Amino acid sequence: MRRRLLLLGTVVVAVLAVVAVLATGLGRDPSATASPLVGRAAPDFTLGGIDGPAVTLSKLRGQVVLVNFWASWCTECHDEQAALDQTWQRYRDSGMVLLGVDFQDTSDGAKDYKHQSGLTYPVVEDKDSKTALAYGIRGIPETFVIDRTGRIVDRIIGRVDAERLAGAVEPLLKGGTQ
Amino acid sequence: MRRGWSAGGLVVVIAAIAAAATLGLIAVRGHNQPESRAQQVQQIASGLHCPICKDLSVADSPAPLAQQMRQQIDQQLAAGRSPDQIRAGFVAAYGDSVLMSPPRHGLGSTAYYLPLAVVLGGALVVLLLLRRWRQPSTVEGPEPDDRAPLTSAQRQALRRAVERLREEEA
Repeated sequence: MRRRLLLLGTVVVAVLAVVAVLATGLGRDPSATASPLVGRAAPDFTLGGIDGPAVTLSKLRGQVVLVNFWASWCTECHDEQAALDQTWQRYRDSGMVLLGVDFQDTSDGAKDYKHQSGLTYPVVEDKDSKTALAYGIRGIPETFVIDRTGRIVDRIIGRVDAERLAGAVEPLLKGGTQ
Repeated sequence: MRRGWSAGGLVVVIAAIAAAATLGLIAVRGHNQPESRAQQVQQIASGLHCPICKDLSVADSPAPLAQQMRQQIDQQLAAGRSPDQIRAGFVAAYGDSVLMSPPRHGLGSTAYYLPLAVVLGGALVVLLLLRRWRQPSTVEGPEPDDRAPLTSAQRQALRRAVERLREEEA
């Protein structure tokens, strides 16, 4: 009798463990994939501008940097562009740089979109996707928040809004860390 | 009385042998070394998960990002980086999830050691069962489940049967 109870108990515990593992995995938001880069130094890059000078990330050290991966064919990128522009206009004189990184796109497509949409922040081209691969890009848009020391403090997958960006940028501009 | 192998015991033993053989085969095949750089690229790419695909390796995916990953692997091999260093570079950017097989450390190591533990545990159970089955039985009697205490009706029936036997002998 005691043996049967022990066996039954073991089976119940095993089944509950499997259910718990499945429930944890299935309940996870796939877009909330943690990046191993958060908390580490942002991978450096030098990329040519689509209609301006080349930009080297390490030369922006001392400023808060938002790196936004996007493409002209990406509709979700279009949807977030107003928020990015608003953030750029609001904080550009306070020590923040917003950099658009054009990903898997044509130069003409990116230029046309920039001019038609009135996008005002600098945009560089990641022609061979090396930078995107170094940042572990899984899809666009993705935005990385980099503090004044060059460390990645946040990664935002998908469309950003101005409030979220302000919440990420303001403490860094005030000298705090996240 | 000695008992032979039961069907259940045989199934467990065969399953344990099959699992051990599979693990051995995987271990042996894992040591195949590619010859050319293209083969090396293919081998490294087949061990990496295409980040923008569902269940496709970088080797199998036609996605532009996977193509660029293959190019980057090729360039890094040409620059003298080892396959482990190249994999580590992708893991640094994407995390362990970029690997097609779980890593051999942390929680991922359970995928490698759990089957071994199950096989060893199964073998232990089989050994214990075999030892128990092969022990000579001292009493030829009812199976353990039949050893429940008799009810009063059964006791009375037994008493009557014994009395009948004694009367017949007398």
